[in-house]
Amino acid sequence: MSNNRASFTPSRRKFLMTTASSAAGPVIARAFTGEARAQSAPRNQREPVGVRLEVNGHVQDLSLDVRTTLLDALREHLGLTGSKKGCDQGQCGACTVLVDGRRVLGCLTLAASVDGRSITTIEGLTSPGQELHPMQQAFVDQDAFQCGYCTSGQIMSAIGCVHEGHAENDADIREYMSGNLCRCAAYPNIVAAIKQAKAATQSRLASKET
Amino acid sequence: MSAAAPQPLANMGAPEPRMDGRAKVTGEARYPSDMPVSNPAFAFLVTSAIAKGRINAIDQMRARAVPGVLDIFTHENTGDLKEIKFASGGAGASTSIQQLGPEVFHDGQIIAMVVADTFEAAREAAYALKVDYAEAPAAPSFDSPGVETEDVTQLHDSAKDIPSVGDVEAALAGADVVVDAQYGTPTQHHNPIELFTTTCVWNGDRLTVHEPSQFMYGLKNNVARKLDVGPEQVRTISHFVGGAFGSKAQLTPRTGLVAFAARKLHRPVKLVATRDQGFTIATYRAETRHRIRLGARRDGKLVGYEHEGFEITSRPDKYFVAGVEDAARLYAYGAVKTKVNIVHADRNTPGFMRSPPVVPYIYAIETAMDELAAKLGMDPVEFRRVNDTTTDPISGKPYSSRSLMQCYDQAAAAFRWMARDPHPGSMRDGDWLIGWGCATAVYPTHFGSATARVRLLANGDVRVQTAAHDLGTGAYTVIGQMAAERLGVPFSAVKTELGDSELPPASVAGGSNTTASCCSAVMKACHAIRAKLFHAAATANEGPLAGQQISGLTLRDGKVAAEGAEEPLAETFKRLGVGAIEEYAESAPPGAPADAIASLYAGKPTLSGGAHGKKLMYAFGAEFVEVRVHKDTCEIRVPRAVGAFAGGRIMNTRTAHSQLMGGMIWGISSALHEATEIDPVRARYVNDNLADYLVPVNADVQAVDVILVPEVDPDVNPAGVKGLGELGNVGTAAAVSNAVYHATGRRIRQLPIRLEKLL
Repeated sequence: MSNNRASFTPSRRKFLMTTASSAAGPVIARAFTGEARAQSAPRNQREPVGVRLEVNGHVQDLSLDVRTTLLDALREHLGLTGSKKGCDQGQCGACTVLVDGRRVLGCLTLAASVDGRSITTIEGLTSPGQELHPMQQAFVDQDAFQCGYCTSGQIMSAIGCVHEGHAENDADIREYMSGNLCRCAAYPNIVAAIKQAKAATQSRLASKET
Repeated sequence: MSAAAPQPLANMGAPEPRMDGRAKVTGEARYPSDMPVSNPAFAFLVTSAIAKGRINAIDQMRARAVPGVLDIFTHENTGDLKEIKFASGGAGASTSIQQLGPEVFHDGQIIAMVVADTFEAAREAAYALKVDYAEAPAAPSFDSPGVETEDVTQLHDSAKDIPSVGDVEAALAGADVVVDAQYGTPTQHHNPIELFTTTCVWNGDRLTVHEPSQFMYGLKNNVARKLDVGPEQVRTISHFVGGAFGSKAQLTPRTGLVAFAARKLHRPVKLVATRDQGFTIATYRAETRHRIRLGARRDGKLVGYEHEGFEITSRPDKYFVAGVEDAARLYAYGAVKTKVNIVHADRNTPGFMRSPPVVPYIYAIETAMDELAAKLGMDPVEFRRVNDTTTDPISGKPYSSRSLMQCYDQAAAAFRWMARDPHPGSMRDGDWLIGWGCATAVYPTHFGSATARVRLLANGDVRVQTAAHDLGTGAYTVIGQMAAERLGVPFSAVKTELGDSELPPASVAGGSNTTASCCSAVMKACHAIRAKLFHAAATANEGPLAGQQISGLTLRDGKVAAEGAEEPLAETFKRLGVGAIEEYAESAPPGAPADAIASLYAGKPTLSGGAHGKKLMYAFGAEFVEVRVHKDTCEIRVPRAVGAFAGGRIMNTRTAHSQLMGGMIWGISSALHEATEIDPVRARYVNDNLADYLVPVNADVQAVDVILVPEVDPDVNPAGVKGLGELGNVGTAAAVSNAVYHATGRRIRQLPIRLEKLL
């Protein structure tokens, strides 16, 4: 940050708080943990907020600063560092995860706003020693990365892209994968990987797997 | 085999999948900010809001009142940090501007760091600091009042031999056709997707630094000097680097500060700088200007070449790239005269960015070559053929190998260049004007000091250790392949360990030297292992290899083998009475000082190559680009690009292909997308984020074809390898620019070429 932007921060912070609580409202109402909290008196904004996330099939109860993003909750509180911070402002896609099966930017999502929701991260696609998810295998086969930093986000986004039906042709894949930057520029290989894994990814969706 | 994994031709290694592939696609690969540390405190930087002036006071009251804040570091309580002089090389600091104040030398200078129990609290408190400045007028770039210009030949020993030969004035006066033109390239930022992060952990008086780095031993030694502790007290770890492109090669001001805070707070401290901070707390590619005069006879033979460059740098530091050194060797120019100037402005100090000297300078000369070909009415490929050379036009030294025209011929054929109508604006497809352009890619071949340790177990398992770096280049893989080949075991039996200052040192991952340098050191270690095995097998009293000539022995398929006889490795190990053989080897380039390896341990690499040896050592390529420019909107697209490259021995066609493909996309980006905009009054970067600093997205990239041209060069280094990581993005911008001229008849001489320049 640069110091001359400080004058904007009080209002910006208030805005974030408001967004968080208004977004959390409807979610909490139908969340399996949120019943009591939804009815409580206005809370001290400095008090930690209890958040329950189902991450890769495991229920996780967290006590978080209300400002904590989903990305920081995963990385700093759950030790799931596969999702990466590349900009923290929704511009690079390195933090892409699936929330209830849809691709979401972890850095632009407050953890409290996805209370009770189901999160899938790169760590949820396979386990150590197990076979790779077809999309992961395709990224290896097609050499769809160099440094690997954007790769978790690319793979989660690629799975989302196939699930959405946006992987019908090369032009569509390029367009619907354009929210995920790859500075090493492995783009042609990413397109090839998605084409390779498309059918297998679709059939996993049909059998209710990610 | 596939596009991503080309069939190896002569002198090319198998497209083994990356050794670190599974780790990278599963999220298991731990980048430095992913390393688990116990109970970290979180740091947040505060950077200056002015580009020049002085900090009068910092009001910390509101910031310190934020619950969870542990401490705030400013120039008032960090004076114990030592200053390290900027050095334009592998081992120095990236900038002389290291104090947090009170003087402010550039926009975005680190002026404070808040440390708190949580990231959120640290960020809140950082925004709550109130800084009172005395602001002075700043000079941001060329033409600003107050910048100072210096001739670099007057500054540096290394710059004194700026190339010059013959009488350029006389040559140009006698030329039939002359191009006299000026070119410009913008500021660019590396913008690796991984942010600049540092995590420091003290255990007693020993420090561990987790920081993405292109030079483990440079970082280790410089952090130690910064903190005034012994280098043996510092360990640096960076198993993975989330992209670097030159931005993570040297010590930047944040590292010592984080280590200092962790020591004071008796607690690990973790810093993840923000994207916008990354534009000012590290380096960038400086904007350049060029004036070129290039003359030829009517038959296309060049007679004279003059090139004067201007490069931006900071107030205190004399950073320059002086790419005339390479540009002046490219063709048989006749007379050559070059000069390089640096222009001191109120900016952070620039630094290496992928192919630092050649990207701006080769863009300029390769555009001038196209202009001259057009004036002569010659085909641009034939113009280069007429002026091809096998010797240095400056010194007369021979090239160790030069496959430039082979690259042109293969790429031209694949591109179908012969179908080109040379007249600008002549090729159309509906509303789109089609342009075809080409240019030369060139990069000096560097060979650096390196060490490695290799262990072979009796069961054939191999471990290779060197503190080198895999920035996405494939270093884990190709270093492992060299060991597998020399030890006759399958690639799957090899494990490569990199990125830790506890391992034997390797040079900075700069100048594309890693494959050549590390593979040469690994070869040497493997050779020592082979010698032990061969001696044991050949001098045994019995066994299939007893009495064999050692020179006739080899290792293959897990066996020691001779013509018609072999024995399993395990048998030879039994003869030696050991379970493992481990060898450490050192490798330094010819002509390196005797203490080159000791210096490497101290964080100073020795690199040779390019124009400096007995022969000129360069890798070459030829790039062809098609652009389509919309006749009404002037939107520019690149539907296809073809590059052919020769790089001596190719260790792995998959990783080589990827480096060159990514490089070409970088080059297209350099031509059409990237530029850091600078506020001309406040001297601040305006588009300091990934939405406004344009890098290519998937939809920007279509067909990019890479052709690997076989080449053998035993002179460059024992491995016979020429670095490829910085070759593919050289010349591309000129190829695009030349194609835009062919499409439109408009010659745009300032990058990037965006549609408003064509309207």
